[in-house]
Amino acid sequence: MNRFLTLLHKEITELMRNGKLIWLPIVLMIIGISQPLTSYYMPQILDMAGNLPEGASITIPTPTGEEVLSGAMSQYGTIGTLLFALATMNVIAQERQNGSITLVMVRPVNEWQYLGSKTVAQLALLLLSLILSYCLTWYYTNLLFTPVDWQVMLSSLVMYCFWVIFVVCVTIFVGTIIRQSSAIAGVSLLFLALISLLTSLLPKFMEWSPGNIRGEATKLLVEQQWTESAWTVIGSTATLSLLLFIAGVMVMKKYKRY
Amino acid sequence: MLVNIDNLSKQFKEKRAVSNLSFTIREGSCIALLGPNGAGKTTTLQMLARLLTPDSGAIQFKGYAEKDYRPLIGFLPQHPSFFNWMTGKEFLFFAGKLSSIPKKQLQARVQETLRFVSLEEAMNKKIGGFSGGMKQRLGLAQALLHKPKLLILDEPVSALDPKGRRDFLHLIEELKQDMTVLFSTHILHDAEQICDEVLILQDGCLKWKGSLPALRKEFDLLPIKVQTEEPMNGIIEQLEIIEDYEYIDAKTVKVRLPEYVHHNEFLQALINRNLSVTHFEIMQDSLEDAYMKVVRQ
Repeated sequence: MNRFLTLLHKEITELMRNGKLIWLPIVLMIIGISQPLTSYYMPQILDMAGNLPEGASITIPTPTGEEVLSGAMSQYGTIGTLLFALATMNVIAQERQNGSITLVMVRPVNEWQYLGSKTVAQLALLLLSLILSYCLTWYYTNLLFTPVDWQVMLSSLVMYCFWVIFVVCVTIFVGTIIRQSSAIAGVSLLFLALISLLTSLLPKFMEWSPGNIRGEATKLLVEQQWTESAWTVIGSTATLSLLLFIAGVMVMKKYKRY
Repeated sequence: MLVNIDNLSKQFKEKRAVSNLSFTIREGSCIALLGPNGAGKTTTLQMLARLLTPDSGAIQFKGYAEKDYRPLIGFLPQHPSFFNWMTGKEFLFFAGKLSSIPKKQLQARVQETLRFVSLEEAMNKKIGGFSGGMKQRLGLAQALLHKPKLLILDEPVSALDPKGRRDFLHLIEELKQDMTVLFSTHILHDAEQICDEVLILQDGCLKWKGSLPALRKEFDLLPIKVQTEEPMNGIIEQLEIIEDYEYIDAKTVKVRLPEYVHHNEFLQALINRNLSVTHFEIMQDSLEDAYMKVVRQ
């Protein structure tokens, strides 16, 4: 336990020193609030863009607060996921490439502690960023559109957190197998895209799929109640993430060389 | 005896890096692992440090039941790399905590180690700004921080300048009073200065093991070199006090004398035969010859 905490402390310090703990929340906050802002100013933006014939009139229905929040979710689903994978791809690959992992593994550290500290630190960073970003987006949505109940916001946030957990576990698992950091991000994103694609192609067989998380979170916003399918998705995502983590540890135990 | 290494083998894709290596490490000894580049020195040391899993064979520490003996060893890789964003002191604290040094002792131990490798002034600087020599010394500091029983150093001095190399060898010399040291090098002179045993590796096989004087004795060879004005053909062959000889040219010869014959006797014999001796040398560098002979065997 002590070794795990030491490693975790090192990971968190590293996140602070290399600035990730600052730029990632900021970028994610910008992505989040851009949704209510652009939705609100869309008529003006279209007007400024010009090129509309004289007398043309466009009526854009004002979205509800819930719709704006689910729009933000879809931003997290695309640019956000890309960011999550890019932020996570390096955590093991870098230490293997520059060899600093040797001076850690020459001490009595086991693979659980090593991979555990990486995963927990990465989750702390990404979940913190997501929570800050989502809360800020919620605040702007309440200012500019119809207010959304905080409990509804919170339950959709909790739901969405599981997507982040899944992305981190996938990327870290791929990171234990591949050494090249760009390939890690590529393979992870491909895998996540495949899951989402299969989910929309074969909805009947993929009810459990983590790819449904965004849909469920949107449903929580609009219908405002937890359904059974929500629990299924949460359960399966948590199980898959845990399995991926265990598989990552097993892969590391098989390493012949650090 | 501290460690017993039994039948260690490691195969990389096409190359057999180490094959059936067996030796023991005496407690308190200082052992040099010699051999040309690619002989398998680094592979052997990495297997000892448990960074590389051997294909077969066993490494057993005497009186240590657990399989994971990492608490007992300190390891300095050939090119140590650290977390560049840490300061030297932070890194040692990090390493010390991972090795479970009790909190109360850690502070004192870090200070002591930093003083030992003379990094006290730089301890609060980022490792990213360290010079190669400083990194090497920090690497040594992290290896001996937890007072390991066996200190493993992979080419500790090959990247250092002459002064750095001398200082580093002094440090190792001091350390070998407290712990068993095993280090690899391809420079014989370093080995000669500080170690009392050598292992010579060639193509992954152990070619020779023992003390340096024993190596000299076994292969040595022809340690006396004589040069005269007149050709010596026919004269050397007649001398009964000579055990072996080798002509370099007609006027220069290398000889070995049996132990009971003093070299003055040989000189006397030459003078008695009216030879004018222009050069008479007892060669010290014959260790290199011995090494070459082992490697060429």
